[in-house]
Amino acid sequence: MSNDFAQFQDAFFEEAAEHLAIVEEGLLALEQHPQDLELLAKIFRSAHSIKGASGMFGFTALAQFTHKMETLLDLLRNEQKVVTAAIADLLLKSTDCLKSLMEAAKSGVAVDEETVQRLTTELATASALEPQPPAVQEAKPTAAPARSDGQERTYHITWTPPEWLFKRGLDPLQVVKELNGLGELSAVKLDMSRVPDLNLIDPEKCYLSWELQLLTGRDLKSIETAFEFVREDSKLSIEEVRSTESGGHSDERKVSAGSGGIHHGEGSDPKPLGEILVESGVVSPAALEQALAQQKRVGEILVEQKAVTPRQLEQALHTQRQQEVAAQTKKADSTSIRVDTAKIDKLINLVGELVITQSMLSDLGSRFEIKQLPVLLERVAQLERNTREIQERVMGIRMLPIGTAFSRFPRLVRDLSAKAGKKIQLVLSGEETELDKTVIESIGDPLTHLVRNSADHGLEPPEERLDNNKSEVGTIRLNAFHEGGNICITVEDDGRGLNREKIFAKAVKQGMVGENEKLSDDQIWPLIFRPGFSTAEKVTDVSGRGVGMDVVKRNIEALGGTVSIKTVTGKGTTFTLKLPLTLAIIEGMTVRVGQETYIVPLLSILESIQPKEGAIKTVIGKGELINVRGTYLPMIRMYEVFTLQPEHTSPMKAILLILETEGERVAVMVDEILGQQQVVIKSMEQNFRKVEGIAGATILGDGTVGFILDVRGLLEIARHGAPIAA
Amino acid sequence: MAAAALETATKELNQQIGLSGDGSQFLTFNLGEELYGVDILRVQEIKGYTTVTKIPNTPSHIKGVLNLRGTIVPIIELRTKFNMPTIDYTAFTVIIVVVVRDKVMGLVVDAVSDVLNIDKKDIQPAPQFGAKVDVSFLNGIGKSGDKLVALLDMDRLLLDDEMLDGAKAA
Repeated sequence: MSNDFAQFQDAFFEEAAEHLAIVEEGLLALEQHPQDLELLAKIFRSAHSIKGASGMFGFTALAQFTHKMETLLDLLRNEQKVVTAAIADLLLKSTDCLKSLMEAAKSGVAVDEETVQRLTTELATASALEPQPPAVQEAKPTAAPARSDGQERTYHITWTPPEWLFKRGLDPLQVVKELNGLGELSAVKLDMSRVPDLNLIDPEKCYLSWELQLLTGRDLKSIETAFEFVREDSKLSIEEVRSTESGGHSDERKVSAGSGGIHHGEGSDPKPLGEILVESGVVSPAALEQALAQQKRVGEILVEQKAVTPRQLEQALHTQRQQEVAAQTKKADSTSIRVDTAKIDKLINLVGELVITQSMLSDLGSRFEIKQLPVLLERVAQLERNTREIQERVMGIRMLPIGTAFSRFPRLVRDLSAKAGKKIQLVLSGEETELDKTVIESIGDPLTHLVRNSADHGLEPPEERLDNNKSEVGTIRLNAFHEGGNICITVEDDGRGLNREKIFAKAVKQGMVGENEKLSDDQIWPLIFRPGFSTAEKVTDVSGRGVGMDVVKRNIEALGGTVSIKTVTGKGTTFTLKLPLTLAIIEGMTVRVGQETYIVPLLSILESIQPKEGAIKTVIGKGELINVRGTYLPMIRMYEVFTLQPEHTSPMKAILLILETEGERVAVMVDEILGQQQVVIKSMEQNFRKVEGIAGATILGDGTVGFILDVRGLLEIARHGAPIAA
Repeated sequence: MAAAALETATKELNQQIGLSGDGSQFLTFNLGEELYGVDILRVQEIKGYTTVTKIPNTPSHIKGVLNLRGTIVPIIELRTKFNMPTIDYTAFTVIIVVVVRDKVMGLVVDAVSDVLNIDKKDIQPAPQFGAKVDVSFLNGIGKSGDKLVALLDMDRLLLDDEMLDGAKAA
């Protein structure tokens, strides 16, 4: 599509993806409430937007397919048809197909034409069941956009656009360009006879008409699509003219099409050998075609030599296709972010304020007298306010609620439960937890793996669940929350739990562990993250191939996070993904221990207390416990853990922070609480390495570095000692 | 043609600034009476000493971390690293900020000296003292006039350290 719209294509794809999400979400909801006309209208609007925009951008395949969907949706909307499970399912499948079509349009991957065809037909049939279906004639099964290699024909097109053309912001040139994209446009004649005298002219009206000759291999439908938006009130006739010449280049084209495995690229790509030979007259086109027909693909040769079975070959080809798609998708991933204009406007206003404050300050600074000190302080305070607000808003632009990553799961679980014959209920919580856009984008796949895994392996079939006195409906819970400097995402199921024996046996079989090795639970569970590990009795297309869990772990670790497993046999399994907030700002409490300032994440602080005499007891002479309203909590002296010089060594004079981490509570002793502030997390790993007990660093008000406490790590050190002796 | 001209120009320029073809430039600094040199291309900047934040549970030669225009930079005290007695910091005490394999680090030294050009022929391999003195992080010994410059191998000096090895710390 080499039209002027190219630059807007990215925007189109993003927008279309959003509409698609709305359609999908709406369809899922529709299954629950088939009578909801408002919902239907919403779905219809989104589908219509996709159709409109894709037509405008010349993605005819997309536009045509969406049109079919729209036809059906329109019938549903007008209550000419009732939403049945079959229709909802068909529409959902079509949404998937639309997705792949969109992907195809975006990156040029080949589409599964068969599916498109089949769904098109199905959609047509579904729409056609009505007594007077308005779309029946259009719903020809052959309507697929296929660049049919068939005959090239010449069409004679006369087009008189409606007068309102310009008023609606439409450009006839786009139509002409699109036609040119379909084939070869010759003899474009512009008829200006209707243009009135200059004093009578209405500049917003279109007085023009065109006569065009188009040589194309496409069918009539594709040509009509070019007029999609201007068709209304247009006078349009498209007639086929007997093709007179197709000589030279059609041959040439055939040669390149016939060259089988060799791709005929655009532009500067070298030509296939055959083509060159033909051009230089060494061989005739016919001879070349014959030769090419004899040429076999590697796969075919291998099959003939019995090196592989056709089945294996098919699988390999399938893998290849998938890889191709994956590679292309990766490349096409956009990194733009859609931001509400209001957000930007507000930001610009704030920057304006900042500039004003800055100029006021420099004005004050240039002729400062000590009696103006209050003014100075006031302006500095204003500067602080400005900066803080800007900071918040800028961060806000990058931060998105994790709900966007969760939104794909209702659909996934619905499909999985249908496929596996299980009843699954999905519970989402913590969708509003905000995290960085890049992190959200990269956790989608690992999460999908985990959810699939839970649905496929974790949850039992309904009968088995009933036998075990469980509710027939299995539950998968997705939860997201901040914990300390991390974001935790848990995928929890109430299924059968991991099978210790099975995992062990499998690991022995795979040679991962020795037969006689004694492994603790904590050593056994991580085995499932090893490459090539799967205990599923049967391999389904969902999971069980032994790829996946290792990928999950790798992806999460690439983000600097960890995956942990908790499982109880017969009760369920919980996977916890812990991701660092590398780009985030956290609310923290600044505390002092001796000369050092530490920041304790506010989210992990439950309360702070100053213990009374006698509140602290010891066990075995050393282990200190503090009584907090009837519960004894272990006490950790921070100066001991971090080998610092404290001001107070008596807990009675110091402050105890009651912190919570992963459900565990401890009291941590510090000298003093300095205050509460937002801190920007700076990476320690960038120039140094991870330090136990420290989640990251930050720049304090005086420009020095302060450390952000990692409560979990602190606990580990207190229990097992420091990793490196000081 | 153009490339050849450029090469000649570079050579001339190098001669003007006193850099011969096969030599390199070293930033030299003092630790007590001794003179050390680091490859100048490794040096990002030199800054005066400011207080650093001590990192808990790290070896004593890792002095702490510093805020260098918003990035956290670890600071290594070379005297401690070389097992030399520590001295009080003076107005001459500086931090040489170096880049080692994309990591930025600071070295606390007594004072910076000159930038010296040392020809390849004036560099001899590091002497061996056996177990008594560890010279594994020396690239060689350079001569410049009557000065002896111990040339530091930054990679070995800073990367053999557990400071960059997260695995050991875990």
